[in-house]
Amino acid sequence: MRTTLTKALGTMLLCGMMAVLLASCTSGDSANGKVQIEFFQNKPEAKTTFDELIKTFNAEHDDIQVTQVNPPDAETVLKTRVVKNDIPDIMAMGATDTYSILAQSDIFTDLTDSSLLQTIDPNYIQMLNDLTGMDEVTGIPYATNANGIMYNKTLFKEMGLDVPKTWDELIATAQKIKDAGEIPFYFTYKDDWQTSLPFNALASNLVGIDFYQERRDNKVTFKEKYGEVAEKQLELMKYGHGDNFGKAYSDGNRVFANGEAFMYIQGTWAISEIRKANPNVDIGFFPFPTGNDASEIKLVNGIDSLFTIAADTPNREQAETFIAFLLKPENIGRYIDEQTLFSAVEDVKQDDPAVQELMPYIEQGKVVDFADHYIPAAVQLNSIVQSFLQNQNIDNYLDTLDKEWDKVANRR
Amino acid sequence: MNKRIAPYYWMTVPAVVLFFVFMTLPALQGIYYSFTNYNGFGKEYDFVGFKNYFNLFQDDNVGNAYWFTFKFAIVVTILTNILSLLIALGLNAKIKFRNFFRGIYFLPNILSVLIVGYIFNYLFSNVFPIWGQNLGINALSTNILGSESLAWIGIVIVAVWQSVALNTILYLAGLQTIPTTLYEASNLDGAGKWREFWSITFPLIAPFFTINMVLAMKNSLMVFDQIVALTNGGPGRATQSISHLIYTGGFEGGEYAYQSANSVIYFIVIAVISILQIRFLQRREMDL
Repeated sequence: MRTTLTKALGTMLLCGMMAVLLASCTSGDSANGKVQIEFFQNKPEAKTTFDELIKTFNAEHDDIQVTQVNPPDAETVLKTRVVKNDIPDIMAMGATDTYSILAQSDIFTDLTDSSLLQTIDPNYIQMLNDLTGMDEVTGIPYATNANGIMYNKTLFKEMGLDVPKTWDELIATAQKIKDAGEIPFYFTYKDDWQTSLPFNALASNLVGIDFYQERRDNKVTFKEKYGEVAEKQLELMKYGHGDNFGKAYSDGNRVFANGEAFMYIQGTWAISEIRKANPNVDIGFFPFPTGNDASEIKLVNGIDSLFTIAADTPNREQAETFIAFLLKPENIGRYIDEQTLFSAVEDVKQDDPAVQELMPYIEQGKVVDFADHYIPAAVQLNSIVQSFLQNQNIDNYLDTLDKEWDKVANRR
Repeated sequence: MNKRIAPYYWMTVPAVVLFFVFMTLPALQGIYYSFTNYNGFGKEYDFVGFKNYFNLFQDDNVGNAYWFTFKFAIVVTILTNILSLLIALGLNAKIKFRNFFRGIYFLPNILSVLIVGYIFNYLFSNVFPIWGQNLGINALSTNILGSESLAWIGIVIVAVWQSVALNTILYLAGLQTIPTTLYEASNLDGAGKWREFWSITFPLIAPFFTINMVLAMKNSLMVFDQIVALTNGGPGRATQSISHLIYTGGFEGGEYAYQSANSVIYFIVIAVISILQIRFLQRREMDL
């Protein structure tokens, strides 16, 4: 008697545990007669803005209820949910290697003919196609960011410096600042991802994005094409400060905000952080002058967030309604305003004074994507560049890039 | 008979089931995936046999991580044990405020590794360099975590600072198992302090020495949190430990299967080292 009871209880315990393990949150329909839409996004900075936009949307629509999900380390969480086949209705993420891999696994709805794409700048749609190597469009570009050189307008004025338009002018300007005993560039290379910012500007402009398609087909190597990228990045190191590898991104934002350095190779995403440290700092932004022909220079401008719809969602129509709402000029205008980003929707402008010098490039489409979006994450570009800047050995660096690329390609 | 044995099943079976579901099963899954080309998500993967294992031995990032991890583990194990034994001897002596000191020395153990790491990270980048500059010492005037050749020392310092606490407590417990009569006898025979330590104290705390060596070695071979908080494996890959490589490559790099193979190998390595250590050190333990 007792043993059977034990057995029964044991089985129950096991079953209970299995149930807990297996019970994943199923995307629910209609708790209160409304269609539930789960909106998954990866930017913690944007949570409040989205919350307020969603509130407005939910108030306008009686039959749809959108809920935002924004976990820490969202990309990893999303990957695990894809494994469990528990895919959120709408996903917002950057146009990165992760997006590319997910798109190629066919988990997103094909939106090639969707009316949602009508107002989007075609440049950015092309960027997505280049990234995934697919003909279908599965993401709707929303906001974009840029990478360039931030400068302290007050300090530039005091020393009578002009914004450099070419590579030679950039070096001359840096030399002048250095001769005056000041810091030209504040490098924050303790964080390895900071070292890939100059890499992106130089690689995207000097070599271009087509390189990666050819590299995938093994027609070219980094060794053949990336010599100039490496040399120029190394040359910049002469104009840093005493502890280039000892300071991190957050240190840099604070120091730059306090006017201790003239220039800061950075992305537009740092603007709000810098203003937090010192609201009165007068910053400007210019595109990285990678070459000596000023008219050739393009702004590195990538997709900061895009929307995708799950391929197997039963509520595609409602999901599209919500995305159409977010794409309305007044809503995206508010979003880019609060996040200091640029709009992928045509004719919505960013008015922030800090980025006015970048606007002409975006309006004329003189933009190019971040080169590192095309490099598989497993290559770990950031740490390779960081290591190169320490060893300063160009041959070794280019060999490593080729070697790591081949190794990863071989494993896929 | 049955009645008496049933409670023991009640105590052990749930633990076994939990252990199996949460530890053994994932480990078996990991071994399974190590023979595929699975990227951690998506639905499709193929069996590739021993290809991942073959690639592992060609990958100098893996070799580099092993070199760093073993260098780190050996230095940390030795330093931790020397320091904690010294502190334990001090705390076992009849000194004033003995309990207060014991509390203080135990403090690092109850702090989270990540918090300690971030605090030291701040000290290394903003405080120590200023001391170095003021004292005119060149080596100290920059952040040592930013240097490829010195960064590992920074991590050693933090790891030792924190792991000394637990080892000290274990040694202290060991020292209290030694009967005072032995010391009285050696005093009568005219043995000095040095002789007393090597002939009585050290042999009698041998079991604690064994467990401390094994624990310190195992913990430092699995070093992860300190690295995330201090350098994130950098500069370059100079301080990338094996666990950190497995994590970054497997989850961020989308090489789930490849790094699963890496962890299978690493599991075998750690198991072998622990067994050897216990075998070797237990031989020299003695009982009263």
